[in-house]
Amino acid sequence: MEYFIQLVIEGLATGSIYGALALAIVLVNRATGLINFAQGGMAVVSTFVAYALFNAGAPLALAILGAIVFAFVLGAFLERVIVRPFERGDPDTAVVVTIGMFVLLGGIAAFFFGYEPRQFPSFFGLETLNLGGVFVSLRSLGTIVVLAVVVVLLQLLFRGTKLGLAMRAVADNPESAALSGLPVSRLLMIGWGLASVLGVIAGVLVAPQLFVSPGMLDFVLVYALAAAILGGLDSPLGAVVAAWFIGVIENLAGAYIDVIGNDLKIAVPFIVMIVILIVRPQGLFGRKVVVRV
Amino acid sequence: MMNFRNATRISGVVATGAIAALLITGCSRGEEGDGGTGGEASPGITDTTLSLGISSPLSGPTAGPGSCTVAGLYTYLEAGNAAGGFEFGDGNTRTVELTYLDDVYDPAKAVANFRQMVDDEIFAYVGALGTPTNAAILPIANEEEVPQVLLVTGATMFSSDQDANPWTMGLLPTYFDEGRAFGELLVERGEVTVAILAQNDDYGDDYVAGFEAAIEGSDVEVVASATYEPSDPTLDSQVTELAASGADALLSAVSVTPLQVGVLTKAQSLGWLPEIFLPSNTSTPATVVVPGNGAAYPAVYSTSLSKVPVSPAFAEDEDVIAYNEAFAEYGAGIAATYTPHCAWSYAEGAILEQAFAGMTEPTRASFMEALRSIEDFQAPLLLDGITVNTTDPTLPAIQGLNLVQFNGTGYGPVTAG
Amino acid sequence: MNNTLAKLAANTWVRIGFAVVVAVVLVVLPLVSSKYVNYQLSLIAVFGVAILGLNIVMGYAGQVSLGQSAFLGLGAYIAAYGVVEGWPIPLIFVLCAVVPAIVGLLVALAAARLRGLALAMVTIALPIIGIPLAKRLREFTGGSQGTTVSWLRAPEWSGLDHDQWRYYVVVAIAVLMFLLARNIVTGRIGRAFRVVKENESVAIAMGVSPYKYKVLAFTIASLFGGVAGFLYLGIVQYTSPETLSFHTSINMVAAMVIGGSASILGTIIGAIYFVFVPNLANQVNPQLTALVSGAVLLAVLFLVPGGIVSLPRRITQAIRAVRRRAGGSPPETPQSPSDRVPAPATTRPKSTEKKNEGKRQGQ
Repeated sequence: MEYFIQLVIEGLATGSIYGALALAIVLVNRATGLINFAQGGMAVVSTFVAYALFNAGAPLALAILGAIVFAFVLGAFLERVIVRPFERGDPDTAVVVTIGMFVLLGGIAAFFFGYEPRQFPSFFGLETLNLGGVFVSLRSLGTIVVLAVVVVLLQLLFRGTKLGLAMRAVADNPESAALSGLPVSRLLMIGWGLASVLGVIAGVLVAPQLFVSPGMLDFVLVYALAAAILGGLDSPLGAVVAAWFIGVIENLAGAYIDVIGNDLKIAVPFIVMIVILIVRPQGLFGRKVVVRV
Repeated sequence: MMNFRNATRISGVVATGAIAALLITGCSRGEEGDGGTGGEASPGITDTTLSLGISSPLSGPTAGPGSCTVAGLYTYLEAGNAAGGFEFGDGNTRTVELTYLDDVYDPAKAVANFRQMVDDEIFAYVGALGTPTNAAILPIANEEEVPQVLLVTGATMFSSDQDANPWTMGLLPTYFDEGRAFGELLVERGEVTVAILAQNDDYGDDYVAGFEAAIEGSDVEVVASATYEPSDPTLDSQVTELAASGADALLSAVSVTPLQVGVLTKAQSLGWLPEIFLPSNTSTPATVVVPGNGAAYPAVYSTSLSKVPVSPAFAEDEDVIAYNEAFAEYGAGIAATYTPHCAWSYAEGAILEQAFAGMTEPTRASFMEALRSIEDFQAPLLLDGITVNTTDPTLPAIQGLNLVQFNGTGYGPVTAG
Repeated sequence: MNNTLAKLAANTWVRIGFAVVVAVVLVVLPLVSSKYVNYQLSLIAVFGVAILGLNIVMGYAGQVSLGQSAFLGLGAYIAAYGVVEGWPIPLIFVLCAVVPAIVGLLVALAAARLRGLALAMVTIALPIIGIPLAKRLREFTGGSQGTTVSWLRAPEWSGLDHDQWRYYVVVAIAVLMFLLARNIVTGRIGRAFRVVKENESVAIAMGVSPYKYKVLAFTIASLFGGVAGFLYLGIVQYTSPETLSFHTSINMVAAMVIGGSASILGTIIGAIYFVFVPNLANQVNPQLTALVSGAVLLAVLFLVPGGIVSLPRRITQAIRAVRRRAGGSPPETPQSPSDRVPAPATTRPKSTEKKNEGKRQGQ
């Protein structure tokens, strides 16, 4: 039984890694209606900034803060300068632009820091708690808690504040939003800036385990996309729950179902996700979109 | 629709023009695959120069080791060039040039790079990193009779049958040998239970195969095993699985540094403290063992074949001093961070120098013959006692392995335990 | 200038002459080029076919597919297995076309009801599941070490070198596939694809079943992918799980958009881009390949958002704009129908509901 619980805890911890980035993806989608591959790239570059600041002697909290500010500016800048011209056009082109940014940002990070993984300290320390035979690291707990807090904040933002409402309006219907007098340009930039901040929070949370490198989030991004879509692209809570779900299912399938084993366990969450999406196309928590002709 | 057709025609003309330009710039059909019979010089060699080529991953997750396979070799060659050049067995002294390209660990690109360099007339293809990339090149190299040697991979396929593939040779001791070395150490202990964590490919397979070959018929028993993919973000669940067995020892055939650190931290956090075996490329104290708090374990073993130039333990060594000086000047621009591959490719340069000295004719065939005749060569940066011996057509150039044990700061000889 | 060229282009004899010139160039090229150049040209043909399939399902029918590499890999593995087992080559070819098509059909039957991003996720799952599967089934695939083969060797009577023979085989098959694709997209099926892409409800009203045509598009794309895999093995003579890499899928999508989606010519340009940009990056600086690739991609999209195939139109538009400004004459109203030729950016009518669909809000 302990083994089972331990695996579930591991799954939640791993799922939190995916969930952190999934939140950023949901936010960008909520704000601009785009799927953004560059989310990973922005997070990586900003995490490197945290790394550089920390290595230059700044205390960890300050380094992270500095990276957050950098991330916001970077996100806003990229939206305004690179993505804006493509937002109204062919969505395929827009997605490829984000892919291009992803590659370019990775290349820039590699240019300055190389490809070898760098260590990053854990904000929560290295201890492990022993809760009745089940071992949970403080780092995992801390990640889960931070995630939960961010989800709550995001829900509050979108449901309860004028800014959130404005951002949703811009994403749903930019022309009407503009006609209503909303500062569309600024809102888009803020949306991306916030998403980038989420991305660096994700990066900093996972860096102690994944190490900082240009490719650190490559694979996590795929899982994060899956979680975001499974959860319904407009629901922060859904994304995180889906991410946890993916992490736990993967672990349990890999450990208990011999024929799947460690190598095919990655297939399980995707297959489950496909089944769920076929039955419920809007995702677990998404709203059904009605298209009027 | 007229404009569209217009566009089509213009684009068609442009495309034709581009292809025509390609034609002109791409080399015309020349002779290739000249093994150099009858004393006629092979491509890539003149009286004063020799041209070598290498394609390794210079971007992506394997870029650290990939860059090092270029940097160390480049350092040795440039240092030699600066000192006046390399002496060849045919009496000439030549400067040796190295061309390097990025293949992103993609076999199709590696083949493209190889063909491009052969077109551009390299004399030999050396020191490339990667199993699938070199596997794709192997048949081509042997058909075109271009040396594909001193490859930085521990896969047995490149050295095990040199009669069938006479133009190919590996550099490093195989993963099989490493696994076997670990197995032999455990066999001496008597009854031991072992858990195995292995990468899900030839790297992991060969490790396990070597290990199992060594423990066959002994009292060493494998009680749990798990695999992982290099793309996995964490190995925590695998470690949890293995920890449940409570095995005495853990063979951790993990080739990704962050994952290996994760294994070390996770196992102890679960209260599982086995003796641990680390492969040579993920055993560096500064980047793996210390961050993973390896001191918590009763013993951490690894194999070593080279000195560690960035470690203070070797600061007084002549070869290391020479390496560090030269690397700062030539190699640092290629590889920013040290991995063992930097030391290995530097030693590779010295091996090539031996082959050059034995070449009586400016041909690839003569080069291969000289390369195959090296015995008991002590290359710089290889540990004492690890020598280069290329005369066996079933083995790579370097065969020896030292089993070492972590002593808190670095590695030392295995203490009886 | 436009009028003369347009008249020329309309002239049938000019068109035939042009086609002959292209054919002659294609035939003569491998005889005078080095093995390296032939290899690159052959790879263009290989990925041209793969990207063509992708364009059919994504550019023309508007369904996101990020898993084309899985079909390429599947085709390559089928071919490798067939070669190792000594099956006749025509049989191998047929299997490489049919088996991936069946797989694509099954996947599409399940997934075609999904919209936009959910469908994208399903296609992403293909290479992700495919790679460990390829490693697991090692009796068929050679496991992670991959399979090396030596086939399509030039027969004695041709007097050709192996790489030249392989070039001819691959380019010939590629040309046939391109003709097939052209027939599909310019015919009834292609028109149906376009309607489905623009507005599914309108399609239904017209009696065109979006589901049916999406499944068809996906199956065709998988077939093309499988054939491309056959060609891939013919040129590279090696396959391994890396062939199914997710990266390859993404790069193919990027190449498709850069060449020009929903365009046959754009596919060829995209394939040239796909094969040459890594080389270009290597020439600039082997250590900065990611930087260069990303920068080139963004630069191209900034200059020609509709893809390189739209470059001539952009140039004529720019020239016209300059002339207008210089001449001071009022802009020609309304622009001639030719200018309303669908660039992907302007296809979508500007109503809000369709904008939602266009933005693919993951439903």
